[in-house]
Amino acid sequence: MATAAIAPAPPETLVRRFTALIPGLLLLGAVGYAGKFIEQSIGAYTKARHITFPNIEYVLWAIVIGLIIANTVGIPRIFEAGVATYEFWLKAGIVLLGSRFLLGDVLHLGGISLLLVAIAITLSLTFMHILGRVFKLNPKLTSLLAVGSSICGVSAIIAAKPAINADDEDASYAIAAILALGAISLFTFPLIGHSLHLGDKAYGLWAGLAVDNTAEATAAGALYSDAAGKVAVLAKTTRNALIGFIVLGYALYWSLRGQAQAVGNKAVFLWGKFPKFVLGFLLISLLATLGFFAKPQLASMANLSRWAFLLTFAGVGLRTSLRELGKQGWRPFAVGAIGEAFIALLTLGLVYGADRYLHL
Amino acid sequence: MSNVPSPPRRGLSLDVYAVALALVLAVLVRLNLLPPIKW
Repeated sequence: MATAAIAPAPPETLVRRFTALIPGLLLLGAVGYAGKFIEQSIGAYTKARHITFPNIEYVLWAIVIGLIIANTVGIPRIFEAGVATYEFWLKAGIVLLGSRFLLGDVLHLGGISLLLVAIAITLSLTFMHILGRVFKLNPKLTSLLAVGSSICGVSAIIAAKPAINADDEDASYAIAAILALGAISLFTFPLIGHSLHLGDKAYGLWAGLAVDNTAEATAAGALYSDAAGKVAVLAKTTRNALIGFIVLGYALYWSLRGQAQAVGNKAVFLWGKFPKFVLGFLLISLLATLGFFAKPQLASMANLSRWAFLLTFAGVGLRTSLRELGKQGWRPFAVGAIGEAFIALLTLGLVYGADRYLHL
Repeated sequence: MSNVPSPPRRGLSLDVYAVALALVLAVLVRLNLLPPIKW
């Protein structure tokens, strides 16, 4: 111990950083695979005994196992770095999922999503600001909650925080509220979707438009069906693409009030905030449309995407601390919850309308 | 996800690495350098 204390810390090399990821990656793989194993085992057992039992997707098992581990024994430090890579796998998985979309579908469904997102964002931002005033929240916390709930959860809050010069505490409250609500939506959205007999496309579009965080939106879609998961990712990706514009709007608003630094080159600002994986998704979709990949190769890429999502869903559970979420106080949570319920209802109405008039 | 994630470090963002990995995998699949991936 004494030697370790005296010796200077060795410089962190790339190899060392990579090695530090391995235990957490193995944990993500083990939790995700356990979820897949449970789904398959239950399916095989009920089929063999002719028992009618609803198929519970591995997604839910992986998240629940992760939640149990994180909130009982906790995640030892050695696993933390690897577990934190779950968002990396989410983004790589989304890019690979582009292989399952023809560009025409992307433009059709993406165009409808874009229209619905624009309507939903305008109404939900207005509603969140009214709620923030009613509950007497700090205006910057309200801005963060509004950005998080109307665009794309945690990434949007992280992107907006420096741009509007918000406090760490406000960002922490907003993130906790959005994550808590995301966790709730994982369990409520599929139930509501089934009770309303929503089709895969309509449900996927709804989940992609209403669930905030990309990982939770992907999971909420996949919990319903594979096809719904695909559409949820597309709708959510469309929403993510708008992050820069909304953050730019807020940055300009707060800088005009002298409470945030002025925005220099707006194009550079937009590019800096633009989620680059959207471009990767479009590129792979374009290549698939042009026939660059043979059919078995497309199947391999879709399966690679599934494996990447498996790691993501395990990470969603492992990184959710219910104790931390409970610590954040009730007001930001109440504003988030009322706002989310409003957005969920609003987007459900929009999806119903789009299904009827725009033929999803 | 309980804590506020740290601000991004200077250099390439996570997105760029994720896109790079996905494209490398796509190329390996295209060139049949990976065995068929099963689910």
